Amino acid sequence: MSEKREQWGSKLGVILAVAGSAVGLGNFLRFPAKAVLNGGGAFMIPYFVAFLLLGIPLMWVEWTLGRMGGERGHGTAPGMFDKLDGTGRWAKYLGTIGVLGPFVILIYYMYIESWTLAYAWYSFTGHLPFGAGQAEMKAFLSGFQGLAQNQYFSSLAPALAFFAITFLFNFYFIYKGIQGGIEKLSKYGMPVLIAIGILLTIRVLSLGTPDPLTPELSVKNALGFVWNPDFSQLSNARVWIEAAGQIFFTLSVGIGVILTYASYLKKNDDVVLSGLTASATNEFCEVILGGSIVIPAAFIFLGGASGALTAAQSGTFNLGFVTMPMIFGKIPLGFIFSGLWFLLLFIAGITSSVSLIQPAISFLEDELKWSRKRSVLVLGAVSLAACLPAIFFLGHGFVDELDFWGGTLFLVVFAAIEIILFSWVFGIEKGWKEMHQGAQMRIPAIYKPIIKYVTPAYLLILLGVWSYQQFWPFIAMKGVAPSDKPYQWAARGLVFGLWAVIMALVAWAWKRRGKGQNV
Amino acid sequence: MNAWGMIFMASSWGLIVFLTVYSFIKVLKDN
Repeated sequence: MSEKREQWGSKLGVILAVAGSAVGLGNFLRFPAKAVLNGGGAFMIPYFVAFLLLGIPLMWVEWTLGRMGGERGHGTAPGMFDKLDGTGRWAKYLGTIGVLGPFVILIYYMYIESWTLAYAWYSFTGHLPFGAGQAEMKAFLSGFQGLAQNQYFSSLAPALAFFAITFLFNFYFIYKGIQGGIEKLSKYGMPVLIAIGILLTIRVLSLGTPDPLTPELSVKNALGFVWNPDFSQLSNARVWIEAAGQIFFTLSVGIGVILTYASYLKKNDDVVLSGLTASATNEFCEVILGGSIVIPAAFIFLGGASGALTAAQSGTFNLGFVTMPMIFGKIPLGFIFSGLWFLLLFIAGITSSVSLIQPAISFLEDELKWSRKRSVLVLGAVSLAACLPAIFFLGHGFVDELDFWGGTLFLVVFAAIEIILFSWVFGIEKGWKEMHQGAQMRIPAIYKPIIKYVTPAYLLILLGVWSYQQFWPFIAMKGVAPSDKPYQWAARGLVFGLWAVIMALVAWAWKRRGKGQNV
Repeated sequence: MNAWGMIFMASSWGLIVFLTVYSFIKVLKDN
């Protein structure tokens, strides 16, 4: 190994970076909708069970595997998985998912993130049609996305401009490195995000009963809508699956980003307390902040339970970019709160997107021995090229296809691979010892059998149920309009094409290594 | 909000706030 690998500057820095990676739009938009659609307060039972048996174990496993890999100079899964089985033959190819997945998600995620920046700008400058109804807000979004030409937008130019700014921001932080870029971004960004979240929470919870003519539309009833439990839902398997899914996606496990971030830890840096703290921070943003803004506000301003339910069912984008600004338009100084809302989402987005870029950078630096400058330039060019179809083919299912592979299927499969490699191939005894190296708290002994038996079983059940219910129909393109099929096939081709490239690079890097240096 | 709702909200918030504050204090103390 030639140069010294980068390292995090402080424990707080890496915790906030991982928390930043985890906290995203889903904390504020996906969680509240899932909760109200799956039993309200009662949803918290399967949610906490999944947190304890699925989320936290996977978090700890990823931090541990990441730190182990970093000790040996590997920042991504191919290098980390290699030799876990003792032979060094096949495991590194399973690890390619941990490089592919983040990149596939990045391709569309950065575009969506740029919308939040645009909307923050449009809020603060008064361009959003506050005071108008749902139809106008929808038209504004469609116009901005280039899906329609209307009085708000006549071309994609503004969207492309905001995307360019977002793109440059992202790669700037990546270029500045782990300490100078990502850690700095997280150390300032996360406290600001939390402060804005608390401010918006207080704003919503202090609404009281805005319209005396409709006293039932009150904060108390709004919170009741979210938190009153429907215990009958607990006997519905779907609710347990949804809760497990939400925990899984909210903690950003199974992607590969935590593996990469943890690889920049020192050998004796704690992973147990750090992983727990990052997870707790995510839950704070999700349950306390996320649970208190969107759905209660929808209840109060959209006519109570039916309005809030419709909002919950309308999907993440609609909720974030149509319903919320519309609601902010109904309160005093709404344009400021709307601007802050989108700024919060932008910070949540950028702290996540830099984590999606870093695995590919680490791969190029660690395995191909490229300099950071070269890695950033090449990856920047490849990312830009890959992002463009996501922008121009938005209405044709291109993004849905990428989100299926990168944002859903790969996560569950990769997490299952990780935990089985850790617990069964590497071995739980060695893994347990490794986890506790440098640890600042002891994991309760019950977690040994949980990590070995319960978490893998939980994951395999999830994989089985989802494969049957969603994965297979999606792969078979059931219900896709014939005119959209070419776009979805193109996206599929992109995903598998990238995978082939990464596999080839792994084979080449290892062959080169075998001929020359001892690593 | 009914009594059960209050219980769920209070206990969820309480658990999470406790976990977050406790872990950050431990992190900052040991740094």
